[in-house]
Amino acid sequence: MASPLQQFEIKTIAAANVGGVNVSFTNSALFMVIAITAITAFLLLGVRKRALVPGRLQSMAELMYEFVAGLVRDNVGSAGRAYFPFIFTLFMFILFCNTIGLIPYTFTVTSHIIVTFALAIVVFIGVTIVGIAKHGMKWFSYFFPPGAPIYMAPLLVPIEILSYLARPVTLALRLFANMMAGHTMLKVFAGFVIALGVAGVAPLAILIALYMLELIVAVLQAFVFAILTCLYLHDALHLH
Amino acid sequence: MTERGPDEKEPSLSDLRDRIARIREREAAEANRQGRANFSGGGVVLRVGIEMAGTLAVGVAIGWGLDRWLGTGPWLLVVFLFLGGAAGVLNVYRAVSNIGLAPGYRFPGADDKKSGDGEGDQKDKSG
Repeated sequence: MASPLQQFEIKTIAAANVGGVNVSFTNSALFMVIAITAITAFLLLGVRKRALVPGRLQSMAELMYEFVAGLVRDNVGSAGRAYFPFIFTLFMFILFCNTIGLIPYTFTVTSHIIVTFALAIVVFIGVTIVGIAKHGMKWFSYFFPPGAPIYMAPLLVPIEILSYLARPVTLALRLFANMMAGHTMLKVFAGFVIALGVAGVAPLAILIALYMLELIVAVLQAFVFAILTCLYLHDALHLH
Repeated sequence: MTERGPDEKEPSLSDLRDRIARIREREAAEANRQGRANFSGGGVVLRVGIEMAGTLAVGVAIGWGLDRWLGTGPWLLVVFLFLGGAAGVLNVYRAVSNIGLAPGYRFPGADDKKSGDGEGDQKDKSG
């Protein structure tokens, strides 16, 4: 029986080395390219006809657009309109990586913490820059809860700063842990199906239920990542 | 419209647009809050664990890093362990209280206060 963790192995497809840095094209990179190609194809084909009464594909593309637009509008407000392209890209990328990873024999890009952490740190640094650019020095008042007595500052400010610095870590961990745990569980139960022979029908039934759950988790985690980005952006734009 | 005084001018189109936008915003926020409440049922345990462990790990990592840099023995590690724990509890509290998914810097009363202010504005304008 193959190890349930074997699916997370990075395989080099085309080795490359630039200045001592390993920049090989791996299966992870391949599936990122596949996800981006799929998103581009989906959106371009969807809006190609530009029909007033949308067809199936156009409806799906418009649904995605309106869903994220609504998310940004509700959670960031009208000031967030400028950041819509970023959040839409982020949402679509994570959504497609998660769902493509559920197809058998594919690789789940978001099951590696370095990928999710890279996405999270981009959000974190971007949001911090937006906050400082918009509010200047006033942005640092962020770290002192309004209404708290001033002599509590030596205790509260480090806690708030830590709480802020934990954002990219928890954002990355949430997506990574959900994807990795789900895919490991799927593989464990898939292994039982083979090992148990005829009695493998029972784990197969569980596997089908788990697969449905994973489908929900894949979409939900993309949504959670996008909504948290929106909320962080809201905090940066509006402070307290 | 009937409660308006005769000396008050008719509500302009932009006024109306503002009011519609405000009502839409509130409805959307309401729907969103309900949606969030529904979503929070399933993964709440995992989320709480991740918030707690992640924040604590960040605290410990910073303490350890500062100790290595400044050579101050284990003391900053100890201090940041407790600060990280406190921040972790704070993040968990923010994640599970009615702020929904936001471990942000708004406190539970902040949302209510904001909508209250909005209503006040509306009253000021129409009254």
